[in-house]
Amino acid sequence: MDKKKEGSFLSIISKSMRDTIDLIRSITAQGGSITMIQFEGVAKTYQSGKQEIHALNGIDLTVETGEIYGVIGFSGAGKSSLIRTVNLLERPSSGRVLIQGKDISTLSSKEIRTIRKDIGMIFQHFNLLNSKTVYHNVAMPLLLAKTPKADIEKQVKDLLDFVGLGDQAQKYPDQLSGGQKQRIGIARALATNPSVLLCDEATSALDPQTTKSILDLLRKINKEYNITILLITHEMGVIREICDKVAVLEAGKVIEQGSVFDIFSNPQQPTTKRFVRSVMNDELPESLLAQIQDAKSDNAIYRLQFTGNSVGKPFMSHVSRDFKVDLNVLFGNITELQGIPYGNLIVEFSGEPNEIKRALSSIRDSNIHIEEVNNYVS
Amino acid sequence: MSVNYEQILEALWETIYMTGAAFGFSLLIGFPLGILLVVTRKGHLLENEAVSKMLNIVINIFRSVPFIILMVAIIPLTRLIVGTSIGTAAAIVPLVFYAGPYIARLIENSLLEVDKGVIEAAQAMGASPMQIIFRFLIPEALSSLVLALTIAVVGLIGASAMAGAIGGGGLGDLAITYGYQRFDTLVMFITVAILVVLVQGVQSLGNVLSRTVRRS
Repeated sequence: MDKKKEGSFLSIISKSMRDTIDLIRSITAQGGSITMIQFEGVAKTYQSGKQEIHALNGIDLTVETGEIYGVIGFSGAGKSSLIRTVNLLERPSSGRVLIQGKDISTLSSKEIRTIRKDIGMIFQHFNLLNSKTVYHNVAMPLLLAKTPKADIEKQVKDLLDFVGLGDQAQKYPDQLSGGQKQRIGIARALATNPSVLLCDEATSALDPQTTKSILDLLRKINKEYNITILLITHEMGVIREICDKVAVLEAGKVIEQGSVFDIFSNPQQPTTKRFVRSVMNDELPESLLAQIQDAKSDNAIYRLQFTGNSVGKPFMSHVSRDFKVDLNVLFGNITELQGIPYGNLIVEFSGEPNEIKRALSSIRDSNIHIEEVNNYVS
Repeated sequence: MSVNYEQILEALWETIYMTGAAFGFSLLIGFPLGILLVVTRKGHLLENEAVSKMLNIVINIFRSVPFIILMVAIIPLTRLIVGTSIGTAAAIVPLVFYAGPYIARLIENSLLEVDKGVIEAAQAMGASPMQIIFRFLIPEALSSLVLALTIAVVGLIGASAMAGAIGGGGLGDLAITYGYQRFDTLVMFITVAILVVLVQGVQSLGNVLSRTVRRS
């Protein structure tokens, strides 16, 4: 065996070993179920003239099967590069993307085309063929796969019914509204029966009402077909509405990630806080803030956060009965995150410092998170 | 009038024949070249800098030579292909060299108008480069392609009139030999009028065709 052959032989062995290890790792990590998408140190660098632009700087993310995973960031954060590394519309400069444990960067272009049929994608601007009917647009992936005509007819009809456009088959995209166009995009993406759906700012060009109906449809797809969804957006409302997990992207890095509930109830990074505030207003109104500062009162102001079952407890009446303190609610709201109620109150405590201390510790005991906000201005 | 109607009809036929044949061959050459110009561009389906650069240089060379000079310059080649350098058939050769690169450019322009997002969607659904060209790029650009090719036909009618200079026949030839050189104003007027009608007709046909293929 000559040197060259030996080398290639070894490299094949080591490659297949690496693949097997990846597969085993992805299975064991999930107690049996396979991780759908895994980003490992994914970086992307563009050459723009003499300047190097680092769109992605070492992304590590794991999207489990059946999840709806949201990536949020301001424009230019690298979201759109990130989502495109999953179906190799963009190739990472370094790092790996594993789909069901398989490193896709090693695939041939034919294999890439095959794997792309298992990854549906929808776009902000829909990207439909304007010269073709709704029917033809949805049939396109099946035509490409050379599916028999009778099967195509049946499948397209089912898909159009599923997205609620069964009666629009013979129309052209420019005769439809934005929401309807996105529904066609979704039907088209589902035509090849994919395991993953990538949503590239899918609702960013739509009004709030339509956005909601499209998000409902995506949730339905996730639940009924168990399709894993990876979406990118700059709207925190989208994340709150349908995502299970979220990652915040800034300057090509993941600065924070976790369950939607954790991120919304306890954001750490300034950017994350800004995103959370954009949909969950928990700030004191300006006028009230001014009033408090003017009064220069020694009264303590606290932010109380309730989650889950602590929301239902009548703690205020308990506290004012059991301790010599007066409570004055300055601000409050309750929302729901992933089906769990989440409340936020800003309360002014007045009374003896000792009594306030005791009152606070009693509140803490009933699983309510407390945070002093006297220095709220900053 | 120094010519009869039969001569005019024959000249009209020669013009139509020259234009039609030249258009057909030019399309055969120009269409694939136009597609190649697009897909070998940077960041496109089959990015290939060498092919792209070479094509651009060659096409630009042909596009920069004035037709009347091109016609004379390729006489040896014309003789090689059709066996003679005079006559209607001989005029078709330089017309193809003139219109082929021109059509390539027009087709490049039309195909570049197709939304990048559509190509991206095609790639995302696993389409091969050939499928993208024939099932996405061309159908989406078809309406604009028809208009572009109409421009090419009108250009060819104009160029074919110049082919009279090498004895190519046609309405242009008639206008020069009888109208201009023998001072027959009526012949000049009639031939120009026929050319005007011809061009108007071609343009109208192109417009209608473009509208009907917008949705296929």
